[in-house]
Amino acid sequence: MKKAWLGAVLALGVMTGAASAQYPNKEIQGIIQWGAGGSTDVVSRSITPHAEAVLGGKVVLQNVTGGVGAIGLNKAADAAGDGYTLLYGAENPLLYKVMGLGQKDYSDFVPVNVIARGTAILVARNDAPFNTFPEMLAYIKANPRAVKFGSTGPGGLPSVITAMINSKTPIQVTAVPYDGDGPALTALQGGAIDVMPAVVGAAIENIRAGRIKALTIMDTAAHPALPNIKPITDTHPEFKQYLPWGPFFGVFVKKGTPDDVVKKLVDSFAAGAKNADFLKMMEGRAFTMLNLSGKDADAFLGKWQSTTAWLLQDAGMAKNAPDKLGIPKP
Amino acid sequence: MREGHIRRPGEAVFSILMAAFSLFLLWKAIEIDGFSALSSSGALPMGAAATMVVSAVLIAMKTLKSEPDKTETFAVNILPRDVWTGVALIIAYAVLLVPLGFLPTSFLFLFVMTKALSGRSWFFCLWTSAVTLVSIYLVFRVVFAVLMPEGIVPEGQILAWFGKLLSGGK
Amino acid sequence: MAGFSSFFTPFIDPKLLFLIATGTWAGIYIGAIPGLSVTMAVSILISFTFSWDVLPALALMAGIYMGGVYGGSRTAILLNIPGAPAAIATSLDGYPLAQKGQAGEAIGITTTVSFFGGMLGILVLATAAPIVSEFAVRVQPRDYMMLAILGLLLVGSLSGESLIKGVFAGAFGLLIGTVGMDPLTVADRFTFGFDALRGGISFVAVMIGMFGISEALVQLHDVHKEAVRQNISKIVPSWATILKHMPLSLRCSTIGVIIGALPGTGGDIAALMAYDHAKRTVKNPEVPFGQGAIEGLVAPETANNAAVGGAYIPMMTLGIPGDSVTAIMIGALFIHGLNPGPMLMIDKPDMFWYIVGSLTLGTIFMLIFGLTGIRFFVKVVEMPRTVLLPMIILLSIVGAYAVNNSLTDVYWTLAFGVLGYFMKCYGYQLGPVILGVILSRLLDDNWRRAIISDQESLWLLLKGTLMSPLSIVLFGSIIFLLVSKTALWKRLFTRAA
Repeated sequence: MKKAWLGAVLALGVMTGAASAQYPNKEIQGIIQWGAGGSTDVVSRSITPHAEAVLGGKVVLQNVTGGVGAIGLNKAADAAGDGYTLLYGAENPLLYKVMGLGQKDYSDFVPVNVIARGTAILVARNDAPFNTFPEMLAYIKANPRAVKFGSTGPGGLPSVITAMINSKTPIQVTAVPYDGDGPALTALQGGAIDVMPAVVGAAIENIRAGRIKALTIMDTAAHPALPNIKPITDTHPEFKQYLPWGPFFGVFVKKGTPDDVVKKLVDSFAAGAKNADFLKMMEGRAFTMLNLSGKDADAFLGKWQSTTAWLLQDAGMAKNAPDKLGIPKP
Repeated sequence: MREGHIRRPGEAVFSILMAAFSLFLLWKAIEIDGFSALSSSGALPMGAAATMVVSAVLIAMKTLKSEPDKTETFAVNILPRDVWTGVALIIAYAVLLVPLGFLPTSFLFLFVMTKALSGRSWFFCLWTSAVTLVSIYLVFRVVFAVLMPEGIVPEGQILAWFGKLLSGGK
Repeated sequence: MAGFSSFFTPFIDPKLLFLIATGTWAGIYIGAIPGLSVTMAVSILISFTFSWDVLPALALMAGIYMGGVYGGSRTAILLNIPGAPAAIATSLDGYPLAQKGQAGEAIGITTTVSFFGGMLGILVLATAAPIVSEFAVRVQPRDYMMLAILGLLLVGSLSGESLIKGVFAGAFGLLIGTVGMDPLTVADRFTFGFDALRGGISFVAVMIGMFGISEALVQLHDVHKEAVRQNISKIVPSWATILKHMPLSLRCSTIGVIIGALPGTGGDIAALMAYDHAKRTVKNPEVPFGQGAIEGLVAPETANNAAVGGAYIPMMTLGIPGDSVTAIMIGALFIHGLNPGPMLMIDKPDMFWYIVGSLTLGTIFMLIFGLTGIRFFVKVVEMPRTVLLPMIILLSIVGAYAVNNSLTDVYWTLAFGVLGYFMKCYGYQLGPVILGVILSRLLDDNWRRAIISDQESLWLLLKGTLMSPLSIVLFGSIIFLLVSKTALWKRLFTRAA
C-alpha cells in the first residue's frame, strides 16, 4: 500500500517534471489591474481567448484592483518569473515613480504586447456657453475658475490633458475629481461639471446620441470615428509637440522570465491582436491598434513616459522629479 | 444578553482600549492633510475619528462607573475553551496559509477544529473535513477559478493533468 | 413599443428558458454563500460566455442577478450570516424567527415579497426607464452627500440598546472606508507605509469578518446545543398576510427602484433604508422589530429585489451602470460587439425588451425555486454545529480571498472577525459598522466634489441646496429626521446614551 502510494507520487513528479519543458503545463494567472467592466478589463478579456488558442493553455483572469493599479502590479511583480503570471495593465504604472505611488513600474516587466491606444477628446455639457476649443479658452479667460473640469485624480488622463492645455494656453479652471471617466461623463450630462477630457471610446456613444458635445480632438488628425470634429492642432499647432498621445493597454510578464517563454507569449498575443472579432470590438470602442512588442514596445513606453512625466513635472503635480528617476526630457 | 448597568468581565479594559485606539486614529487622521481645506483628503477621516474619540470616551466613562457582573467570569462567559480554540485556530490558519498552501492548511484547520469541538472519532472528523474541503475546492477553484496560494501541493499541475485526461490526452 | 415582441423570446426559446432557470437557481446558492457574490459570478461569466451569442449570455446573467440578490436572505434568516450585503437588514428580524422555529414561514414571506419587489422594479424599468434615468443623471454631488447623511441616520435604527455604541460603530465604519490611497488626490490615508494597505480594506472582507467569522465565534458558545427544529410545513403565506403587507411592499419597492437606479448606490443601501422606513412607519407590528417582525423582512427584501430593475434603468437607457453588477454587464455588451449607450435603446429596442423579458422570467423562477428548495437549506442548518461552524469559518476565509484575490483581505476578515466578536460580547451592534463602510465613499467623495464645485464655501453650498427642489427635499428630510420624535435627538437626550 505504502509502496503504491510512493510510486504514484514519484510518477506524478516525473510527469510534471517532464511536462515543464513544455510551456504552459498549467493554468496561467492573468492579473488585470483594473475592475471588471472597465476598459482594461474589456480589452483583456477580449484578446485573451484568441491568444489562448495559439498558446495552447488557459489563462485565468482575475481583477486585482486598488491603488491606481499598483496593488495588481505589485502582485504580478512578486510572483515567480516563470511566465505563469501575466499582468494586464494600462498606462498608469509609468507614472507611479513620478507620482510617488510605488517603487515598481513597467521597468520590472517585459512588454508582451502593447495592444492599442486611445485618443483623448475634450467634451462639454450640451448647454455650455462654448462650442469649440478657442471659444472655451475665451470664456474661461472672461470667467476665471467658474468652469468646472472633470478629473480622475492626479496622474489620470484628464489631469495630463489639462496640464497639456495649461502648458500652451494657460487656463484657470476648477477640477472636480471623480473615480473614473464613466462617473465623470455621467456628471457631465447632469450638469455637475462643464468640461471633461476623456478617451474617445468612453464618450463616443454619448456624442452620437447628442447628449454631450465634442469641443476638439487632442490629436494631430481627425479621428475616423468622429470625422467632423476638428483636431486641436488645426487651431493650435503648438500642441504638435505632445501629440499623438493617449492612454494604452498592454500585457506584461515579469523581467527574468525565460526567453523561450516570452517568445511564445509574444507570438500568441501578436496573433490574438490580429483576430477579426477583436479588431471589430476595438474599432467599435474607437481604439487605435498598436500591436507592439520587443524594441518597438520599449520605445513606445519610453516616449510615453518621458512626455507625460515632464508634463506633470511642469504642472507641479509630480512628487519626484523625473530627471532624478532617470527619465529623459523629451 | 446583558443588563443596562452591569459591566461584563473585560468590558472595562475593552472600552479603554477602544478609546486609546480612537485617539491614535485621530492623531493619524490629522497627519493626513492637517486642516488645509474643507475638501482635503483628511476631512472625513478627521470627522469620523473625532466622533469615535468622543463616543469611546463617553462609553468608557459609563462602563467604568457601572457595577461589575459578579456572576460572570472572563474564562467562562467571554472566552470559553471552545471560543479561544476557534480564535487560536484562526490565527494559526492566517500564519500557515502562505507557507503550507490552501489545501493542507484548510484540511488541518477543519480537522483540528471539528475534532476539538465534537470529540467524535478520527474517522468521522477526517471524513467530514475531506468532504467539506473537496466541495469548497470544487466550487471556488474549479467553477469560479479562484487561485488560492498553492504552497506545497502542486494542485495547479494536478488540475491541468486532470484537464488533459478529460480532454482526451491532448 | 418597437421590438416589444422580443419580450417573449426567452419564454418560448427552450434553450434560453433553461439558461434563465439555471442562472436563477445557481444565483440563489451564490447569493446564499457568504463570499460568493453575484458580481464575481457575472465577471466569471464574461470569460465563460465569450464564445456564445449575446442573448444566452445576458439571459444567464439576468437569472443569476435576480436569484443572487434574493439568495442572500437564506443564510441571513437561517444562520444570522447575510450571504450578501443587501441581506444585512434581513437578518435583524429573520434570524429571531428562525430561532423560534419559524424559518419556513420567514422564507416563504421573504420569497413572496422578493417576487413582488422584483416584478415592480421590472415594471418601472419597462414603463418609465427614460424618465427615471433622466432624473438619476441630474442628481448632483451635494444630493448624493445628503443621501449618505440620511443613510448614516439609520444608525439610530440599527444600534440596539445603546445608541452611543452605535454612533461609535458607525464612525468606525466610516473610517474603515477611508483607509488606503485616496482615489481623488492619491494621498495615503491610514496606510502606515504598507503597500498592501494602499488598496484599502475591502468592504466585503469587513462584512464577512463581522457577520461570518464573529457570528461563528458567538455560536461556539453553545456549540453542543441541539439546532432548533424548523417547522417547514407552512411555507406559502396566506393571501391575508400578503395583502396586509402590500402597502409597505409598495413603498419599499419605490425606495428600491430609485436607490437602485442612482449610479453609485445599490440594493444594500436600499434594503437598509427600507428597513428604517418600515421601523418608522409601522407603528404596531405584531412582534416588535428586532424580535422577528414580519415587516422587518418585507421591507428590505422588496427593496433589494426592486433595486435590480432599478439598476438596469440607467444601463439600458444611457449605458451608465446602476451598480457593480450592471457595470460588468456593460463590459459584457462591449465584448459581444454591442455599444451600450444612449443609442442602444433607439437602435436596438428589441434588446431592451429581451432584457425585460429575461428579468421577468428570472423573477418567476425565483418564486418557484424559492418556495420549493427550502428543505435542503434547513437540513444544512440542522447539521451538528461542530461540523457546520468550522465549515462556515473556512467558507468565510475563502470568500474573503475570492473577492479581490488578496491575502490581505483574508487577514482583515480574520481580524475583523475577532474584533467583531468582542464588540458583540460588549453590546456593540455590528450593523452600524457595515453601514459606515458602505456609505463612506459616497459621503467622502461627494462632500468633496460638492465643496470643490462651490469654491470651498459652505455658504455657496447651502445656497445651491436651497435652489434645487431635490436638494431641498433631501435637506428637509435630514432636518426632520433629526428633530422628529423617533430619531436621534430624543434618544440621545432622554436616555443619556
